[in-house]
Amino acid sequence: MNNILEVQNIHSFINQYHILQNVDFVVPRGSITALLGRNGAGKTTTLKSILGLTSVRQGKVVFDGQEVQGMQPFEIAALGIGFVPEHRAIFRDLSVEENLKIAERNKGELDEKREFIFNLFPDLKRFLHLRGTELSGGQQQMLAIARALVADNHLLLIDEPSEGLAPVIIENMIDVIGQLSKQSTVILVEQNFLVASKLAEYFVIIEEGKSVETGLMKDLEADKAMIQRYLGAA
Amino acid sequence: MTTNSNFLTRNRGILIFFVVMLLAPFLIGLLEGSSPAVVLANEGGLSKFLEGLGIEIFILAIFALSFDLLFGITGLLSFGHAMFFAVAAYLTGIALKTLQLPFWQVTLLVLLAAIVQALLFSIVLPRVKGITFTLVSLGLASVFHIIVMSSDMINLTGADVGLQGVPTPAFINPASERFRFYVIALIFLVATYIFYRRFVASPTGRVCVAIRENEDRAKMLGYSTTTFKVVAMIISSITASIAGMLHALYQPIISPTVADLGFTVTALLIVLIGGVGTLSGAIVGAFGFRLLDFTLRRFLGESASFVTGSVYVIFVLFVPYGIIGTLRLEKLSTRAGWKELFSRIRGNA
Repeated sequence: MNNILEVQNIHSFINQYHILQNVDFVVPRGSITALLGRNGAGKTTTLKSILGLTSVRQGKVVFDGQEVQGMQPFEIAALGIGFVPEHRAIFRDLSVEENLKIAERNKGELDEKREFIFNLFPDLKRFLHLRGTELSGGQQQMLAIARALVADNHLLLIDEPSEGLAPVIIENMIDVIGQLSKQSTVILVEQNFLVASKLAEYFVIIEEGKSVETGLMKDLEADKAMIQRYLGAA
Repeated sequence: MTTNSNFLTRNRGILIFFVVMLLAPFLIGLLEGSSPAVVLANEGGLSKFLEGLGIEIFILAIFALSFDLLFGITGLLSFGHAMFFAVAAYLTGIALKTLQLPFWQVTLLVLLAAIVQALLFSIVLPRVKGITFTLVSLGLASVFHIIVMSSDMINLTGADVGLQGVPTPAFINPASERFRFYVIALIFLVATYIFYRRFVASPTGRVCVAIRENEDRAKMLGYSTTTFKVVAMIISSITASIAGMLHALYQPIISPTVADLGFTVTALLIVLIGGVGTLSGAIVGAFGFRLLDFTLRRFLGESASFVTGSVYVIFVLFVPYGIIGTLRLEKLSTRAGWKELFSRIRGNA
């Protein structure tokens, strides 16, 4: 099976609002796919729909050959999907170590991956016993990503990783996500087109709750008119 | 040996509290000229009176601890929490007085009822969140309050007058064995606190904290959050029921006021005074609450309620983290404290 995820014509609602109105794309295994679009286009809702946090009323979400729409979020996550939410969503009242430990699905996973995680994020090792609130913005983002690496996730959903970070930290983040893609498939929601184009091989453009364009990132980079039309950047 | 010393180090504060509280009746007895033998024989005047006040505080503290586990640790604001306490109190009273069951059977019945109630509350847990859960829990507890107050139930519950004349087992009769009752209530409080601290530090407890902070995030990590909330609810219900049982054994009348919203608000105030989610704040808050109420009532009579209420409003406005919460802070920001407090009450901190 070449595609790890297939999102087939999904329609999602938040309360009475019809947010996703036909989103359709596939994610090839081992790739980085960027979800692009303007603010409010439905990118984060697409990630939440994949995870079952927003209810999918029509269409299918197929992960590793299994239909997951309608399942509970914790059941979907347990299949091997890791989510790094926007706004550096760590648990503020837990220490760095507790934030990592809580992501274990099987006992001892953190110990097995400790070296790998701390090689990627050396700061976390130094601040292991600090509470989440005591970390800088960049460190909180690193912790949010590291948390998704503790369990054996085959697919990582990363939402706006560069948001609010200094350029030097963004460079580091690009490097880290690039390394992660060697182990997991990644879906990246990113406002910063430069970041997305550096990382992703495939793209999906979402506009007003619909997937309007999909394809190879290198083709999008060459099509300045499309970038201007949908992303407002050239 | 190391395990023992670790236990002593980890629980140093509460163990010091235990020893001080254990010695307090004797020290007070010495001050009024009563020997330790007199205190042990429950014949000391002031020491016996203060033991009574201590028992009330310990019971309130156990009840407030159970509330803090739900609200402060797991993020569930239940306005029906008094029901756990009241059901246990009335069940104890009815089982001892009307059914004349042996004490061990009464205890078993109370524990069983605690679990059943927690499961009853848990039915709504997957469906409602935040303030909706608060109102649903209030609704459930109100039904029990109405039943207790019903004149049809007067033979069992005593309706609005309360349940009187509950025969207390001789070995913990608060009139003749006050010091023993005091020690038992103290042991329950200390044991509950130590157990709660261990629970909060355990992987299950950490998930409860994560649920309080952001339930969706906990779900995204693969946790069935409802299961963890049910576990917290059962532990909390059992604890509140133990407090309710002690209350029924200590007080001459089980008043229906323990079943109404006001009694849940008492737990909320105690936790707010001590510090939400700190656990030790529930103990400090119970002392503050009962001693303030006792002192003001002594000097101001009925108008004490107005002053007490004003004190709490001022307290929440200027000390939003509570006493223990403020002591743990490196820097006090009242505005940040309000924000955190209100987000906890809304249920999405």
